[in-house]
Amino acid sequence: MNMKATLKEIQKAFLSGVSFMMPAVVAGGIMLAISLATGEKGDSGVTVTNEFMKSINLLGTSAFAVMIPILGGYIAYSIAGKPGLVPGMVLGFLANNPVTVGSQEVKSGFLGAMLLGVCAGYLVKWMKKWKVGKTIRTILPILIIPTVAVFALGIFYIYIIATPLAFLMNGLTSIMRNLSGGSAVLLAVFIGLFGEIDMGGPVTKSVSMFTLALMNEGVYEPNGMFRIAVAIPPIGIFLATRLFKDKFNQGDRDASLAAGIMGCIGITEGAIPFVVSDLKRVLPATMIGTAVGCVIGAIGKVKCYVPHGGFIVLPVVENKLWFIAGILIGSIVTAVILGMLKPKLEEAK
Amino acid sequence: MKIIGVSACPTGVAHTYMAQEALEKEGKKRGYDIKIETQGSIGIENEITEEEAEAADVVIMAASVMIEDEERFEDKPTVNADVNDAVSHPEKVLDEVEKLMANQ
Repeated sequence: MNMKATLKEIQKAFLSGVSFMMPAVVAGGIMLAISLATGEKGDSGVTVTNEFMKSINLLGTSAFAVMIPILGGYIAYSIAGKPGLVPGMVLGFLANNPVTVGSQEVKSGFLGAMLLGVCAGYLVKWMKKWKVGKTIRTILPILIIPTVAVFALGIFYIYIIATPLAFLMNGLTSIMRNLSGGSAVLLAVFIGLFGEIDMGGPVTKSVSMFTLALMNEGVYEPNGMFRIAVAIPPIGIFLATRLFKDKFNQGDRDASLAAGIMGCIGITEGAIPFVVSDLKRVLPATMIGTAVGCVIGAIGKVKCYVPHGGFIVLPVVENKLWFIAGILIGSIVTAVILGMLKPKLEEAK
Repeated sequence: MKIIGVSACPTGVAHTYMAQEALEKEGKKRGYDIKIETQGSIGIENEITEEEAEAADVVIMAASVMIEDEERFEDKPTVNADVNDAVSHPEKVLDEVEKLMANQ
């Protein structure tokens, strides 16, 4: 198969993964949004106190917990058929849960699941073609393929991907440490560009850990910037689907409504389906948008006293108008860039 | 000529069904026996049975995502079309079907 056909097959796999994952994102996001909206804002983020709302929150986190494994599973399924499904799911789960490297916990989130899903898909597809005897033939799909695929790719992930990722995360933290002594705007650009590059993955996590550490030291501005960034990708995408009617179809608009609600409540994950479907257009738009939002936050000296973002933390934010301006302008920038990058529907291939 | 096909788009709520409608309309206009199965977010509808798959001459795949039970159509000549193209230019897709069948 040539390069172009393979790329097309991978793109199709991503779209398939998204279409299977979507219900989990929407159901989970809405449950989380409802429960978090009733929560109390404290030092450890938004805490849901009402018993019934705690149950709703549990349902939301459950749906989010299966969302990334479903993505990985159906990416592999799309490439390799039935035997690809479970290896892809197991590896997606692995990517979405912390792997301990030294003293550092590494999680690669949806980007890891996309990578592992594709790898699992092609590994299984190749294994299906093995010329084996009749006795082996029967145990190939039920024993050999799942075991070998999970083992080989799991070990590959833990030792070849997760370990360097841990160094990368450490590197990011030390860069931010150095920047935090100097210009607030520079730090804002950095937090904005990297804070939501993986929508809750390892890079987001290092930025969030960094802002939390500074909070412990009584410095609240970096957390203020970061909490602006959290809301921007899903809200920006929502705005883009409304502003550029000729570049998004009705399905996009319906799906982005849930994303928009999630953004207001500080759940960036709502943006993941859109990022997965069109990485090279959506990511630049959200990165630039979040950077702009963070810089506005830095200029306005926004302080956020809780580790959660979006409009729901407004009561515990200092310099509220700047906080709102950061989210809104960042989202509009995201929407406009995305609108410019997206081709018209007619020309879309 | 008996034409069967499947339409499926990523969200599976709008384009899937618009493609089905457009293709069936264009096919009937040209006097063909045509049936397009939809695989939207609700699952398979207007399902093509094993017998119908067996009896068909040609298959149209208007899908931008993976589809279920693809093996039903394995041995048939197939036209792959983009689901958006099927919505906006069903005549081009049918032209391709005719071209493919003329060369058979």
